[in-house]
Amino acid sequence: MDMRPASGRVRLDERGLMTVSREGETLYELNACQVKEALVLGGVGCGLVFFKMEDAGERVICRFTMSAFKQAGEFCKLVNYYRQTGHAAFPDEPEVSICPQCGRPLMEGLSICLFCYNKMTVIRRAASMLRPFRRPLITAELILVFSSLLYLLVPIFNRILIDDYLTPMQGTFSNILTLAGAMLLVRVVGEILFIFCSRMYNRAGMLYTDNLRNVAYGKMQRMSMNALAKRTPGDLIRRVMEDTATVKDFLINDGRFGVEMLLTFLVVLVILFFTDWRLTLLVFLPIPLVMMVLSRFWRLIYIRYERQWRKGSRANSILHDIIRGIRTVKSFGNEEQEIKKFARVSRELAEVSSANERMWATLFPSLTFITGIGEFLALYFGGRAILAGDMSLGVLVQFVMYIGYIYNPLRWLVSFPRRLADTLTGLVKVFEIVDEKPDIREIDHPRDVPLTGALTFENVSFGYKSYEPVLKDVSIRIEPGEMIGIVGRSGVGKSTMINLAMRLYDPGLGAIRIGDTDIRDMSLKHLHEQMGVVFQDTFLFVGTIYDNIAYAKPGADVQEVIAACKAANAHDFIMQTADGYQTMIGESGYSLSGGERQRLAIARAVIKNPSIMILDEATSSLDAETESAVQEGLMRLTKGRMTIAIAHRLSTLRRANRIIVLDKGGIAESGTHYELMRMKGIYYGLVVAQRKMFSSGSASAPDIEPAP
Amino acid sequence: MTHPSVLEKQTTEPEQNTDIGLLDTRETDFYKTDGGFTGLRYKGKTFPRVSFRRALPIGKPDSYISVADDENKEIGIIRDIGDLSHTQRDVVREDLAKRYFCPSVQSVKSVKDKMGYVYMELILTGAGTTYEKSCAINDVNRNIRMIDGSRLLIFDVDGNRYIIENIQALDKKSMSRLEPYMF
Repeated sequence: MDMRPASGRVRLDERGLMTVSREGETLYELNACQVKEALVLGGVGCGLVFFKMEDAGERVICRFTMSAFKQAGEFCKLVNYYRQTGHAAFPDEPEVSICPQCGRPLMEGLSICLFCYNKMTVIRRAASMLRPFRRPLITAELILVFSSLLYLLVPIFNRILIDDYLTPMQGTFSNILTLAGAMLLVRVVGEILFIFCSRMYNRAGMLYTDNLRNVAYGKMQRMSMNALAKRTPGDLIRRVMEDTATVKDFLINDGRFGVEMLLTFLVVLVILFFTDWRLTLLVFLPIPLVMMVLSRFWRLIYIRYERQWRKGSRANSILHDIIRGIRTVKSFGNEEQEIKKFARVSRELAEVSSANERMWATLFPSLTFITGIGEFLALYFGGRAILAGDMSLGVLVQFVMYIGYIYNPLRWLVSFPRRLADTLTGLVKVFEIVDEKPDIREIDHPRDVPLTGALTFENVSFGYKSYEPVLKDVSIRIEPGEMIGIVGRSGVGKSTMINLAMRLYDPGLGAIRIGDTDIRDMSLKHLHEQMGVVFQDTFLFVGTIYDNIAYAKPGADVQEVIAACKAANAHDFIMQTADGYQTMIGESGYSLSGGERQRLAIARAVIKNPSIMILDEATSSLDAETESAVQEGLMRLTKGRMTIAIAHRLSTLRRANRIIVLDKGGIAESGTHYELMRMKGIYYGLVVAQRKMFSSGSASAPDIEPAP
Repeated sequence: MTHPSVLEKQTTEPEQNTDIGLLDTRETDFYKTDGGFTGLRYKGKTFPRVSFRRALPIGKPDSYISVADDENKEIGIIRDIGDLSHTQRDVVREDLAKRYFCPSVQSVKSVKDKMGYVYMELILTGAGTTYEKSCAINDVNRNIRMIDGSRLLIFDVDGNRYIIENIQALDKKSMSRLEPYMF
């Protein structure tokens, strides 16, 4: 078999004909009708596409490197879609990870290519958001420019002092005092204006960032679960906080000083040219070299210091890890080993830091020398001009001082592109969140239908990633008031089913209805208002117990909150705390046990009085005793209400009217506990396994009844 | 209180369990299926599609190879490919080569650091072919990894991996291009 890497193509046309070619040469053709299912098999650094054929055989179609993984998944999805519907149309947008223009990979979570986007559009857009702050910003900029121009007077004062008073020895004390006073005045006024403008700039910058942050955060709250799941919490936090802060820093520092630096540069350049254009040209001779060296130097510094930062961060994380796991380290007697491990990382950090300091100590003086070459040239040729009587000493001093004024803007210019790029990246990331089109969209006139009818899954297929289907062609009808239990191994799609029922995601194929209405035709707010959910990991916000319960029904009165807590068996433990319902919980507040948290979660669901109740492993993390306290609350909550419950602990589902067993993406078994036990299938196996596990010594054996 | 009969004086060191379910390589019969997979006949049972996974892919690619059925249930472990007959060895090696693809880096033509990514142009050798490839690496701290004193693994944004078997043997130019990113 030829295993050499080659470029190839697998193609499916509208008639269902598949063509497999290698280096442009067709290897074979296949009809999609012969295929039962197309699948991707992941390897290490590569993968393969294979078909399960209608004649029960299996056939490898092609291998691919990881760069083609998503396309391979999309292809399988396409083939499977064709097999189900007879159409080669694509059910939804393919996931994009490569820029269609330049072929570079897109940054994680971004759908815009940072190399190909139009920078001016982003800048214009960011600038348009500056409009409300236009007046203070322009005022501050004018003040800053004025104060900088004031400082440009200092060399002129120096020239007058030398040429008019000191060299001819004609000046009086009062002349000198006036000049010194003028210099002092320039400095004082300049500083006062600078403080004033900094304050105005900072305020405008903060308000601008606040605005940008709120727009991004507001949008993030309205994003679908699908869009949220594509990004890590850290990424979202960085976009809302850090990226907006980068924009603010750029605005406050570069925006403020940029205009001032450019203006100073131009004004000084004009003055220098008018003073002596030949000398000015000479001074500018080494500038390209200076710019080149500076640019290389900053890049080198950046890489070297980034490396030092990474080493430091690694030492930090190792230390953090060891200290957190110190109990494990001690219990295994591995202290010596850990000391050595840290010493090695610490030494590496020391070596990198020392190398960087050495480089800094060598390069910095050299750089200062190169940047100062202009001054030497000016001094040499200026000195000659003085001796020849073509130039006065004062003019030379003024000239040299102005040269010094040019280097600041140059240094700023060298590192400006990197800062501009960072800011634009930040802006693109923030705007991407702002521009995100929700994939869970409401129709134009959504209906607010009461959720009183049956909940129906009609041939629902869904996968979080296009190439990994989780549910395949699932159909089920849940009647009002019925309690359904969903069981199955981890990752089989239990939570996916309830996520779909809550419309946190939309199915790829099929429909979900409540009564006769497709849930996609209902308003999301209305749908969610009538559903109550208790998860395994209850999330409670920082605040009082009261606030957390009332979160589900803003404006609920005290009586409603207490009644809900009583129904959830939470009231008694709440009353044991010193502050009762006003006990602070969440981070650094009163620490709740698992059972207490779950009871608060149930109370939160009770107060909503939902039409459909969803329990996602609501009691899985509790011990048997606590579970029975929680169960009581749950029983009151679910009575006469449509309930969908997921549970690993099968005893939790003993009151369910029907239990469905999910396996391999579909419903494998369905029926009451007794029916399923008699069937002796997957459910029977699960019950027997749990019974064995609990009967082997555990005091908290669940009362799973045997089949009669 | 523990019942007295349960107490037994421990006189010897506890015995270590070293049974890892090694396959009896005298009885394994790996064969290639028509569809391009590998099947196994073992002790009277036939597994129409098996897959191989290396326990120590970097250090010992030929030792401790897990053999699993089409539902990913482990059938057993091959202690060393050398224990198999020549023909059997070829079948297993071919299947492993289909599952593991990690071309080795011959030289580094260029390294560019842009917008949080490191873009590399590499000359690679994989499955007997030498070719050039451009790749992008995100979070170099995590994705350029020294495995031991000499081996370096590079993971690109797509999930491809490239190995430098001996970093000391890399040419000077490649080394100086890569050096700032090695941690």
